[in-house]
Amino acid sequence: MKKYLLKRVIYLIIVFFFVSLMMYMIYNLIPSDPALVQMEPLRKTLKPEEWTRQYQELRRQLGLDAPLIVRYARWMGFMRDVDGNFSGLLQGDFGFSTSYKRNVIDIIGVPMQNSIILNLVSTILTLAITIPLGIYCAVHARKAADSALQAFTVVGYSLPTFLIGILFIYIFAVLLGWFPTGGAKTPGSTYTGVMEFIDRMHYMALPIIVLVFTGLAGMTRTVRAAMMDTLTQDYIRTARAKGLKEKVVIYSHAWRNALLPVSTSIMGWMIGVFTGGSLVIENTFALNGTGRLYWAALTSTDYELVLAMQMFYTLISLIGVLLTDISYTLVDPRVRIDK
Amino acid sequence: MDNKSNNGSAAAKKEFFLFRWIRRLFFPNKELDIYAEEQMQSPFRVVVRNFFSKPTAVVALIVFIIIALFVFIAPHFVTLDLGEQDSTLVFVSPGSNMMKYPSELKENGVADIAVGNNYSVGADKNGKIYVWGKAKLTKVIDLGNIPEEVSSAKIVKVAAGADHALALDDQGTIYAWGSDRLGQTTLPSELKSNNRLHEFGIKEIHAANQFSVVVTDDGRLFTWGNSNLADIDYDAEKYDGHVVSAAVTNFTYVILLDDGTVTMGGFAPKFSEQRVPDDLGSNVKAITGSSSSILALLEDGSLRIWGNSVKGENSIPQFTSPIKKIAGGRYHYTALLENGSVVSWGGTRYNQTSVPENLGEVEDIFVGSFQNYALQKDGEIRTWGLKGFIFGTDGLGRDVFSRLVNGGRMTMTIGALSVVIEMIIGIILGGIAGYFGGVVDMVVMRIAEIVSSMPFIPFAMILSAVMGTRVSVEQRMYIIMVILGILSWPGLCRLVRAQMFAQREMEYVIAAKALGVKESKIIFSHIIPNVMSVCLVSITLAFGTSMLTESSLSYLGFGVPLPTPTWGNMLDNAKNSIVIQNYWWNWVFVGAIFGIACICINLIGDGLRDALDPKANGR
Repeated sequence: MKKYLLKRVIYLIIVFFFVSLMMYMIYNLIPSDPALVQMEPLRKTLKPEEWTRQYQELRRQLGLDAPLIVRYARWMGFMRDVDGNFSGLLQGDFGFSTSYKRNVIDIIGVPMQNSIILNLVSTILTLAITIPLGIYCAVHARKAADSALQAFTVVGYSLPTFLIGILFIYIFAVLLGWFPTGGAKTPGSTYTGVMEFIDRMHYMALPIIVLVFTGLAGMTRTVRAAMMDTLTQDYIRTARAKGLKEKVVIYSHAWRNALLPVSTSIMGWMIGVFTGGSLVIENTFALNGTGRLYWAALTSTDYELVLAMQMFYTLISLIGVLLTDISYTLVDPRVRIDK
Repeated sequence: MDNKSNNGSAAAKKEFFLFRWIRRLFFPNKELDIYAEEQMQSPFRVVVRNFFSKPTAVVALIVFIIIALFVFIAPHFVTLDLGEQDSTLVFVSPGSNMMKYPSELKENGVADIAVGNNYSVGADKNGKIYVWGKAKLTKVIDLGNIPEEVSSAKIVKVAAGADHALALDDQGTIYAWGSDRLGQTTLPSELKSNNRLHEFGIKEIHAANQFSVVVTDDGRLFTWGNSNLADIDYDAEKYDGHVVSAAVTNFTYVILLDDGTVTMGGFAPKFSEQRVPDDLGSNVKAITGSSSSILALLEDGSLRIWGNSVKGENSIPQFTSPIKKIAGGRYHYTALLENGSVVSWGGTRYNQTSVPENLGEVEDIFVGSFQNYALQKDGEIRTWGLKGFIFGTDGLGRDVFSRLVNGGRMTMTIGALSVVIEMIIGIILGGIAGYFGGVVDMVVMRIAEIVSSMPFIPFAMILSAVMGTRVSVEQRMYIIMVILGILSWPGLCRLVRAQMFAQREMEYVIAAKALGVKESKIIFSHIIPNVMSVCLVSITLAFGTSMLTESSLSYLGFGVPLPTPTWGNMLDNAKNSIVIQNYWWNWVFVGAIFGIACICINLIGDGLRDALDPKANGR
């Protein structure tokens, strides 16, 4: 078990560096030359050869003349920068945002907080609703309630998130007026303590509802399919035959086995929500989260910020994969023995 | 789910009525028991039969085919003009009632009709006033709410502008209603009914884009309205007493004087239509204006046009008879001839110039915006021009319907082609990995794992942002397809690989090997056709996912860029809460068709999965 996990962690670290190298290379496809930007105004005042010399000097100072792999290593923090210090991602230096004129690390705090609240609350709510619902559907398969829920989930997981977002804004914010249409807090408010929390939640309620709604549909189907598959197994028949209570059969025998395929989809779904889903939701609701920050950075071509955020997303994905592996070993004893 | 009873008898299977005839046409064999079926029917046929026995899947298939045919055929009829936009057609609500005049107006006889932006005002011979078309401009301003004093007066002349309307009664009183944000309805004090002594009659009333022009019987002229937008200065000292007629354009007006010359009314020309040609002479009979040009009818029956001809207003046709009356719309002119026939020319985008073939002898014409009304001698009113937009228009005045149709083609094409790319990569890599196993399998699977562990939407966004900046719209579209294909192949690859593992030990593969068939041929022409049916489910669902992802990307602004429409970037407009609130037609139609298409694809995929699953047959 430990050996298996260690193997996975090492593998993920390798993948992380591979992906980051790839991202760095893509980032370098963008034609930009900070040295040229700085030197361009001097082109007329200096002699051509003097200008070229100074330009090359500046490129050297900025570390632009080094080969790509060296620049990557410096950015990552494997190699000393031109000034002789380590200043890379590994040392906690995420770069400098050109659009905010601040260090990236100082910018991402608040959005990160918002995003984590949004995603955590919606994930917990989704799972709390979806697992009992999926089990109920599987146990009562092909009855009226199940059919109705199936029809509802098809609609739910077919519609794009932003469309559901727009629809919910129209229904709950415009027609009913229960929630604000967007934003993170009441403009100009100076609430503290409990009031601040309530205000925050009031603004975050609709995004959370939309995320839960979209998650609900897909996850209920997954849980239902896995449970139905397990319920046809012979050992379930055996468990029933030997007179176990139906509750024990469903929750102890069937559910634990159904959890295996479900846990994979849960992680996959959570990664999707943390990256893509919240990106769309935060943009629809103008919520100041990581997704919106990433979007804003990309639209304003603030590439150092983009790169840092991209690393953040990659890390989340990879941690998700790792958690899937761990949950596998927890749920399925065979994995522990096999590997 | 499967709706048949579980007793194992295939004869109890209920079939969806619509497709009973299809089955009887193409699959005429009776329901067979399991042994006979295995001998006589290919698995493919069983799958097809299973699929067609599910009503939801069949309905989904039919609906999807209809939508697909619609978006691929309709663009040939509903052409898309990417440069299309018009400030007067912004956020027009759906409907085609712009020229649906009340029948009462026709019965009582028409006294006057005036055409404003997307609505019309009419007065009948009894002095009753009517408003029809898209008169509700905002939640508050509705030109259809005719003030009490106007509806009780005996109206003889009407005028309609962008957001205000004027009416003149038989006592010479002018009424104005509509938006008053820029003083459109605030009459000059001399014209106000209470402090006017009715010492002069009103000859002409004109309402245009937020300003109004009135000509009196004694040759004076009054203007009021938004003087920031339009040049409505009037040199009263110079022209008072000599004005015979006026013609309004979008931003200014010109006047016809009693000596037969035309001049601008203000002090210095700002707009091209104010620069009257020097050689025009002094024999002008009548003038009229379009959005930015002026047309003059001379005494000798010829026409002169000056100003800015946007949509071919200056290509004046030949006339068979002398001209009786000229009138201008936004981008077109219509002329009534002495012999009662009518000729229109200029912009043709909304059929403004398509005069009906069987038009009777015409007594009078009323023209404005994109609409024409012709009053025939027999009292019949004939109309041609823009009736309305069935799905309304968006914030730039573009027809939502044509964008919906063309955007659908774009979205579906991108979805389909990215699935093809995904299939090519997934099947080749999965096939090779599954067939050879070992190191090849290891390498391919690690690559697949890396690709699938990349966060999809953020990664697609950065790729689109980096690669899409230096290319044309079309190239960017292909780039989006490739990005979607490249990022989504691992799922299919895993599926093909797992199937390969099972198939490569089968007898037919061993037989093929023994015969010395090339390995590439074994993989791609022997095994892959056998696993295709299983992949079909995944491919169907992938098509739906690709469409969703493309639209999410477009919605975020990193997909297909504007003005090329896709369903995603059309919904991007609706990110704005004002649009969601007030202009529902901008997102409801595209949302509905997109939602239905996605639901259909998923239902088809589910149906296929059930049809392929031997357990679903109850055995």
